[in-house]
Amino acid sequence: MADTTLVGAAPTHPTTAQIAAAIREERARRGKRAALLKHIFLIITSLVMIYPLIWMLASSLKPDNQIFGNLGLWPSELRWENYTAGWNAMAVSFTRFFLNSTFVTVLSVIGNVISCSFAAYAFARLEFSGKNIWFALMMMTLMIPYHVVLIPQYILFLKAGWVDSYLPLIVPRFLAGDAFFIFLMVQFFRQLPRDLDEAAMIDGCNPFKIYWAIILPLSVPAMATAAIFSFIWTWEDFLGPLVYLNDMRDYTVPLALRSFIAQDSVSAYGQLFAMSVLSIVPIVIFFIIFQRLIIRGIAMSGLK
Amino acid sequence: MAAVTLSEVRKSYGGLEVVHGIDLEVKSGEFLVLVGPSGCGKSTLLRMIAGLEEITDGTIAIGERIVNDVPASQRNLSMVFQSYALYPHMSVRKNLAFGLTNLRMPRPEIERRVAEAAKILQIGELLERKPRQLSGGQKQRVAIGRAIVREPQLFLFDEPLSNLDAELRVQMRVELANLYNRLGTTMIYVTHDQVEAMTMATRIAVLSKGNIEQVGTPYELYNFPRNRFVATFIGSPKMNILEANAMGGAATVADFGTLPVVVPDGPISVGIRPEQVLIGRDGDLVAEGKVTLVEYLGSEIFVHLRLASGRDMLAKAANTAQHKIGDEVSVALRRESLHTFDANGLTAPRATTTA
Amino acid sequence: MNKFIRRNLAGYTFLLPWLIGFFALAVGPIVSSLYLSFTDYDAVAAPSWIGLENYEFMVKDRRFWKALSVTFSFVVISVPAKLVFALAVAMILDRGVRAIGWYRALFYLPSILGGSIAVAVLWRQLFENDGLVNTLLGVVGVDGPNWLSDPRYSLTTLIVLAVWQFGSPMLIFLAGLRAIPQELYEAAEIDAAGKFRRFFAITLPLLAPVIFFNLVLQMIEAFKSFSGAFVISGGKGAPLDSLLFFTVYLYNEAFSYFRMGYASALAWVLLLIIAVFTAVAFWTSKYWVHYENERS
Repeated sequence: MADTTLVGAAPTHPTTAQIAAAIREERARRGKRAALLKHIFLIITSLVMIYPLIWMLASSLKPDNQIFGNLGLWPSELRWENYTAGWNAMAVSFTRFFLNSTFVTVLSVIGNVISCSFAAYAFARLEFSGKNIWFALMMMTLMIPYHVVLIPQYILFLKAGWVDSYLPLIVPRFLAGDAFFIFLMVQFFRQLPRDLDEAAMIDGCNPFKIYWAIILPLSVPAMATAAIFSFIWTWEDFLGPLVYLNDMRDYTVPLALRSFIAQDSVSAYGQLFAMSVLSIVPIVIFFIIFQRLIIRGIAMSGLK
Repeated sequence: MAAVTLSEVRKSYGGLEVVHGIDLEVKSGEFLVLVGPSGCGKSTLLRMIAGLEEITDGTIAIGERIVNDVPASQRNLSMVFQSYALYPHMSVRKNLAFGLTNLRMPRPEIERRVAEAAKILQIGELLERKPRQLSGGQKQRVAIGRAIVREPQLFLFDEPLSNLDAELRVQMRVELANLYNRLGTTMIYVTHDQVEAMTMATRIAVLSKGNIEQVGTPYELYNFPRNRFVATFIGSPKMNILEANAMGGAATVADFGTLPVVVPDGPISVGIRPEQVLIGRDGDLVAEGKVTLVEYLGSEIFVHLRLASGRDMLAKAANTAQHKIGDEVSVALRRESLHTFDANGLTAPRATTTA
Repeated sequence: MNKFIRRNLAGYTFLLPWLIGFFALAVGPIVSSLYLSFTDYDAVAAPSWIGLENYEFMVKDRRFWKALSVTFSFVVISVPAKLVFALAVAMILDRGVRAIGWYRALFYLPSILGGSIAVAVLWRQLFENDGLVNTLLGVVGVDGPNWLSDPRYSLTTLIVLAVWQFGSPMLIFLAGLRAIPQELYEAAEIDAAGKFRRFFAITLPLLAPVIFFNLVLQMIEAFKSFSGAFVISGGKGAPLDSLLFFTVYLYNEAFSYFRMGYASALAWVLLLIIAVFTAVAFWTSKYWVHYENERS
């Protein structure tokens, strides 16, 4: 009777992963009380964190006189007109602003991914004289505040006749202007085994072919992470458009929002919130879809 | 098939020379193994032959052609890496075909070669899989497959079996040996494992600290090592080394007494392989000792001994021998199985007559 | 020569876009900014050399000192607060919390939105006299101050905004905590080390490199922060210059008053401040940062 387990089908032995999971659960069970306290703390913190955003969403649907002095989130009536009215509240419609932002952002993302992956490939995989010095200089540019180069860049672009166009916002992206992305990609490329490049060399690839056929296809996660961050930062960028764009028809969404407040149409808070909500919708959607990649990207590179 | 000729090949990193003027001739159709401890320069040497490292000085010729400045892809060789280096994003079929596509070979020819390699290595049913879906042994086969589809004149192997578990390693060793017998192409194989070297090579080059210590067949290396390093590196378990002193053609070995030698006076060493250490009194030199440990391996027994002077020796005995820890035993050596090394570690000629 | 070109060709080809950008958009501007800082320049007429005048003026410029003190107060308060909060939450999240993915995402969301104008706009409204914050305070019986127009309180709004974005240092702390081997804690437990002892004897020293990294990064970020202060202070650093961040002052000098020479001098001061802070952080790090693979 002691060997009943030996009779018939032997019980399948759990896999290593199963055993590890079981151990983890066992440990978790032991700390159940502590876990409960943790959860209460975490839930309260999350609510506090998220409350302003929910409040903004709620306010965007409220009549103006219910926004202030009012804790309740649920409006007495849903004012969808805030959205339609806000969309056309300024001399130029938000359709234009969104198209402008999309144009700048898409080109910036493309430029960033191409030029930064080029530089990163050189730093991570190729041998050339002066590499270490260039790399150190590249890392130093991480520290330089945009404000320091802003004035001479502005003068440069002014002389080139680029002010009041999107060129000052887009061209630097094609010149690997953001060292963060180079660094992120270098980190990723370095993880790929070098044997692959060497096998490819023996298989008849030159460095360009190795970049294109081996490194890039294996770096989709890094490219995607860079593209996502690049998208978010360009979409939110304020100082660049503020300096270079003067004609309202050229405004990007953040610039338009800021003129919205400056307009002194103080009472139209519902509309202001409605447009604010819309302006971050693309970012929130990206965040929800690519949350994993974004979080992994930060852990990997310590970005922003 | 091609011969490979290295003359005065050197490699430095910065000012640090890691390969010191190596001359080596690999004959056409030979299976040459480069073996040595880690850091001896064997991998660097292989990578220089492959064209993955530049040569600091000297020449490398494959066949008649000096390839010093020829890029790896144009040396008509293939290489199997320790990590297999399979392209993770390509199916097995694409991995095999990748190099051929780069050569702009016609489709039907590529397909024929891939199919043939798949047949030889029995990986036909794996062709559509990605490398991560393969076991270690299967990856190894694909890596070898990728090497053979190129039908190169030279194969290079960089420790290809060291990532496999023991059982698989023995199996792949046999398969590689069979593959060599079937293709007959020149192969250069790097390993730190002298058992691999002994079992597969037609010839072995033993490297140490950036120099070649000896080149020869496994038989030659085992029985006629040129120096103490080769003698102790080849053979498992290791050869016993006894420090001794030579004076006027006779060497005094502590515990054992004297024996005739042909070396200049001074400190020398005497080596004997464990299977030639006899327990009993049936030999030319006899000493007394005590058993300190017995390792039972099934087919044989390793007996660890401590001699009266406190020196340790290892003897390999038949699996029927009955020894226990603490047994007092006699240890006997035959003169013809001794290797004598002079003060510089070079093998001395044998003394022909009895003293 | 031929060999030299062959060895370098591929590397420099791939590096080319960056090299152009590096010289045209970084080195060139930094050098010309240094030159401009010694000139009087309005971006229209040619710059005229005035030697150290900009810097001499700066020493006497009350608004410059105000901007410095506002920025320093912001950095000195917001960065440690943010890091302490980030570390505390990271430690709670570290091991064995269910649904960690959800919390991580929720806590990180503000970091991603924090730079946007929408959030700056929202923040302004939150701290209005009858905004959400004061309404909440009213519920617990506190009569909240006028956050935005009272210079004593205005900086608080931006500090809260900064701490609200604790998500990114938190993620980096989480990665750092993961890297501490569990065995160390088990060994310490066997050695009868209590919770606090374990924190101070294991977590803190082993996490020091990560803390250091976060500290340098967040400090630079804090010195550079602009859009929040710009929007909340109505673009001018109001009220009473209490939100006159260095970057806001610089922007106004350059692009509202077109005093490009003086603004360049300000830019160089900012660069030096950041460089000094980073250098000090690095220099002191050897006293308190412990790297695992360090040789003794």
